[in-house]
Amino acid sequence: MSDNLPASLPGQSDRVVQVDKLSKKYGDNVAVNDISFNLTKGEVFAFLGPNGAGKTTTVEILECLRNPTGGRARVLGYDVSKRSDQAQIRKRIGVLPQDFNAIDRLTVRENINYFGAMFKHQLDADKLIELVDLKDKRDEQFKKLSGGLKQRVGLAVSLVNDPDVVFLDEPTTGLDPRARRDVWGVIERLKSQGKTVFLTTHYMDEAEYLADIVSIIDHGQIIASGTPDQLIDTHGGKKTLIIRDAGEEGLKQLPQGLPKAELRNAGDIAIPLHNGELTNILMSLAQTPLHDKEIEVRRPTLDDVFLNLTGRRVSEEGN
Amino acid sequence: MRSRIYTIISGHFKSWYRSKSSIFWTIAFPLLLIVLFGAIFGSGSTKFDLYLQNQDLSANTPTYFSQGYITVLNNTGAFNLHVVPAEQPDPLTYVKNDAQLHNRGQRLLVIPLGFNATVMSGKNATIQLYMDQSDQASASLAGIVHSVTVSYAAAIAKAPNHLILQQVGIVTKNIRYIDFFIPGVIGMTLLTTGVFGAVNTNGSYRELKIIKKLATTPLSKIEWILGMVGYQMILATISLVVILFFGYAIFGVTATIDIYTVGLVVAASLLFPGIGMVLANFVKEAESADAAANAITFPMMFLGGTFWPRETLPDIMKIIANFMPLTYVNDGLRYALIYAEPAQALTNTLIALGLASFFIVLGSVLMNWKEE
Repeated sequence: MSDNLPASLPGQSDRVVQVDKLSKKYGDNVAVNDISFNLTKGEVFAFLGPNGAGKTTTVEILECLRNPTGGRARVLGYDVSKRSDQAQIRKRIGVLPQDFNAIDRLTVRENINYFGAMFKHQLDADKLIELVDLKDKRDEQFKKLSGGLKQRVGLAVSLVNDPDVVFLDEPTTGLDPRARRDVWGVIERLKSQGKTVFLTTHYMDEAEYLADIVSIIDHGQIIASGTPDQLIDTHGGKKTLIIRDAGEEGLKQLPQGLPKAELRNAGDIAIPLHNGELTNILMSLAQTPLHDKEIEVRRPTLDDVFLNLTGRRVSEEGN
Repeated sequence: MRSRIYTIISGHFKSWYRSKSSIFWTIAFPLLLIVLFGAIFGSGSTKFDLYLQNQDLSANTPTYFSQGYITVLNNTGAFNLHVVPAEQPDPLTYVKNDAQLHNRGQRLLVIPLGFNATVMSGKNATIQLYMDQSDQASASLAGIVHSVTVSYAAAIAKAPNHLILQQVGIVTKNIRYIDFFIPGVIGMTLLTTGVFGAVNTNGSYRELKIIKKLATTPLSKIEWILGMVGYQMILATISLVVILFFGYAIFGVTATIDIYTVGLVVAASLLFPGIGMVLANFVKEAESADAAANAITFPMMFLGGTFWPRETLPDIMKIIANFMPLTYVNDGLRYALIYAEPAQALTNTLIALGLASFFIVLGSVLMNWKEE
């Protein structure tokens, strides 16, 4: 990761996406404020942040759907602001817009072929159907599919031109946990095929699970970037000892001299761990009624990273 | 490019024929209207319909002898008399339109201005009877009117030849209401499928992010619009063929499909989706767009000459109707398909094509392809 990279000629760089001091304003409202990042070939890049942070605006600038008001962005070496370059970008990118639905009364196969016909070359629909694991549903009309299956059709549609980079805007929003995992499975398959994936999400676990590189965006600005491990090590804070279902009563039963504990939503007690403290804490807990409670040591997550960086958590709905 | 446009057309068409409600509104509903209106306005009468214009008024009241003549006519029980206002400057056109609307024969009896004075002065007075000699009822109707006239003359002046009934031949083409109505239904179907098609497709495709997705592919806005227009042309052709076939099979309506009909189908396939696209641009949500489409199409249907001739509308409505694109499509279709009047068909086709160019260009310019 580095800012201010020079523009490369089309097709002559591993940098699939280069964003340099990019801004987008709507009147006085700044949606994207001077952001820079790069995406290298074969990477899964997660653009992580709450709703309204500027993720979709950024991705739509890269998809040539919006014009930036400042800075520069290149996709596959082509300038997103140049009309002649936009035509080249559109041929080589795959896009799954947020909340995308295919055409209701066309079948899965017909939908893939419909969007495939927009390109000069398209992949075989049956192979894509196999990739997204929809063989049994290939002749089913789109409107009859569940949310998770619809999203898999969207993924197949986004891959129909065998793109050099795939933009997936919130691909699992609104899906149940199982459907989300199914979509993750497809993205993992793309990753194993060496596809470059630009993923926007507000799900911290999704970014942590899928991404090679994560950039966290909040209020239009990138506040941290790196691999998930780097972000957690740098900004995640300390490991935490969790005592399950201990409740208020448990809080009172904690021995003196422990680091400041807090009670979390489900009645769990969380105690921050400093280096070398674990054994001492466990030994002192053994002397209390809490010794028969379920105890675990939890590593910080990107949730903690976001909390530490912004002072708030992102809800399930992305707010 | 051709393959992309073909794909758009084929996608729309598949979506259309797989939707029962779309089939209903495009095919079944117009046929249902034809049956209903044909049944309501198609009923006959044992009396002769006769339009009567009494121009001989004094202070807006029929003069003595003119009123007497009308009373005698009425007393025969042979006529359903329909009054044409005395101030109507073109009674023949009035009769033509009203007769079509009510499925009556086009026969007009005119009592001229000065009738009363002429009778009183002892001079010969002339009453004019306009009717089509090919009208099957003409001989018997003319006979009755002649008898009434002679009897009345004898009664008032003891001189049977004192009143002269002058028969004037007119060519009516024997247009029935159903002949008038069928081109109107075709126009209405083109209007609704075009406006609603564009509004719903653009509205729902925008909500479903299909347009956003397409905008990230090499497909251009022009290709998308051409695909939509091509699809509308196919629908328009299907509607035209089905409605004409139905009209012929059930009501014996014979129509002539000529170059003007083709021109009007092309014009309607550009014009109404163009209006829909303009609407869709101003009303973003699919549901509101539907309401806006209703607000536009219903007045056009009722004032644009779909169900009844525009000449029967109040003057202010006639003026409004002149600004409605459907008026020219309906009139053009009538002149081309039924009346076989090429000059009138051409005029309306050209106006419709002009409006079509305006709206499709405006709709295309206004349509947001990219997000801003």
